[in-house]
Amino acid sequence: MPSVPAVFERNLRALLRRRAQTLLMHVTVGGLSVLWLVPYLWAVAASLKARTEIFTATPQWFPSAWQWSNYLDVFRYAPFGLYLFNTVVVVLGILLVQLVTVTVAGFAFARLEFRWRDILFYLFIVQMMLPIHAVIVPNYLTIKSLGLLNTRLAMMIVFWASGYGTFLMRQAFRQVPRELEEAALLDGCSRLRMLWSVMVPQVRPTLVAFSLISVVTHWNDFLWPLIVTDTQDVRTLTIGLAMFVQQESGADWTLLMAATVVVTAPLLVAFLLFQRQFVESFMYAGLR
Amino acid sequence: MPPEASCYSRARGTEVLLYLLPSLVFLAVFTYWPIVRAVATSLLEWNISHPQPRFAGLRNYIVLAADPVFHLVMRNTLLLALVAIPLSIALALLFAVLLHEPLGSLRPVYRAAVFYPTMVPMAAAAMLWVWLFNPSIGLVNYYLGRLGIPRVEWLYDMTWALPAVMISWIWKNVGYLAILYLAGLQAIPRDLLEAASVEGAGFWQRLRHVTLPLLGPTTVFVVAVSVINSFQIFDAVHIMTQGGPADRTNVVIYYLYQQAFRFWDIGVASALTVLFVVGLLSVIAAVVRQMERRVFYEV
Repeated sequence: MPSVPAVFERNLRALLRRRAQTLLMHVTVGGLSVLWLVPYLWAVAASLKARTEIFTATPQWFPSAWQWSNYLDVFRYAPFGLYLFNTVVVVLGILLVQLVTVTVAGFAFARLEFRWRDILFYLFIVQMMLPIHAVIVPNYLTIKSLGLLNTRLAMMIVFWASGYGTFLMRQAFRQVPRELEEAALLDGCSRLRMLWSVMVPQVRPTLVAFSLISVVTHWNDFLWPLIVTDTQDVRTLTIGLAMFVQQESGADWTLLMAATVVVTAPLLVAFLLFQRQFVESFMYAGLR
Repeated sequence: MPPEASCYSRARGTEVLLYLLPSLVFLAVFTYWPIVRAVATSLLEWNISHPQPRFAGLRNYIVLAADPVFHLVMRNTLLLALVAIPLSIALALLFAVLLHEPLGSLRPVYRAAVFYPTMVPMAAAAMLWVWLFNPSIGLVNYYLGRLGIPRVEWLYDMTWALPAVMISWIWKNVGYLAILYLAGLQAIPRDLLEAASVEGAGFWQRLRHVTLPLLGPTTVFVVAVSVINSFQIFDAVHIMTQGGPADRTNVVIYYLYQQAFRFWDIGVASALTVLFVVGLLSVIAAVVRQMERRVFYEV
């Protein structure tokens, strides 16, 4: 039988080892976190410096005098307010139509029986793997012949059907107990009415998750808006930023970084406020 | 089938059409018709010198086959996928496994720190990295210099421009992949890991023999998503290098864009579209089949 000090020593060792392991984890994940934060914080730092202050031999994390005027200059040199407005219109215009199309199609695939159902569903699935970037040239020609070049509608219309959203909604509707639906139909509801008042409330978490993902995706869109727009009045934030970079190619880094912060701030603020909701939505939607 | 079931689930054709038509119209016009049209257009000679399209057989494909830039573009695209995807998956897995541990009140902070680039548009992320990779006053060269590594020209360097683009892409994508893995980890039953602990398995053994095999299905999904993303890289290249220096960072979608909207060669751009669609779909199919086989054998 081991002596009391020996047992004590063994427990102490185990405790120390667990502590050391936890510490190691904090150091690793903490170090990586700092590494991931640096690019953005360094841009914020530059955006608040005077033009001459960025040329220091050693990196200065804090400006000697905070140049908030850089932000005013960004809005003075390019219409970022208008870009923001256009982005919001396009993102919401995509989302609102998508919510209708994916809900009704998801419902049909989850609950109705009809001919060619599997083949039709397959057409939706393949769209998930064939993103718009693959077919920009023919789509550009289509948009051109529809006379939609350089409109906000052009930036929205190509995304109005979502194979991914339809897939998510189908999964969600399958989870809803059939009894709910039957009861509503026995009460004499029409199916469309039943879908709206009985089924949709049941799948609200999926609708929220899909909405967040759609908003983030289209807020960040670049290639398609770049191709179908050629004037300032319809451009979105990301395109506005790229144009600003070209226009300011004299490399005033303080202004370029201020513009980058302006473009990224709305979504990042929303993310910080609703972190849990965002993370859970992306988790949930990835899970399938 | 019980009678009442057939009564509510058997829908009339017109009703089904009502539900599916909105989506089918847009799918047809903006996903499937473009593929047909790309195949047709790829057989035309349609460019600056021939503004009136005319049938040219396989001319555009032959042009591409002989085009050294196209070979470089293929090389860059594959290299990017083969290097950046494994690296981001390894980092994402590391983050996810660590974030799954009980790290106390700092956990949401760590999670936010790695996930926030998902909210940053790739175009803006590219700007951040242009600034970091600035050869004379960039942070990257400064810290490398402190380690005694000589100055690198990064985006202006034939060798280092592509790795620089990869780094920005990895930085932007790891958080999303980590969240997917975190979801996979949370789906693993706790008692399975506890049973392994009781049997005397340490952290590494649990990771190697329980956690990783059970993450197989998540990995299939993560790889498929990464392949789709990496083949579509455009924003980072457009902002950081415009494909340069000397096409060393030119990738397939960027080349497609150049052919169509810089050189106005719609025929060649359409041939590229066809090759891209066929390539993407077959790579995804191959990846999913290969990985699924391995997943089922290993579990």
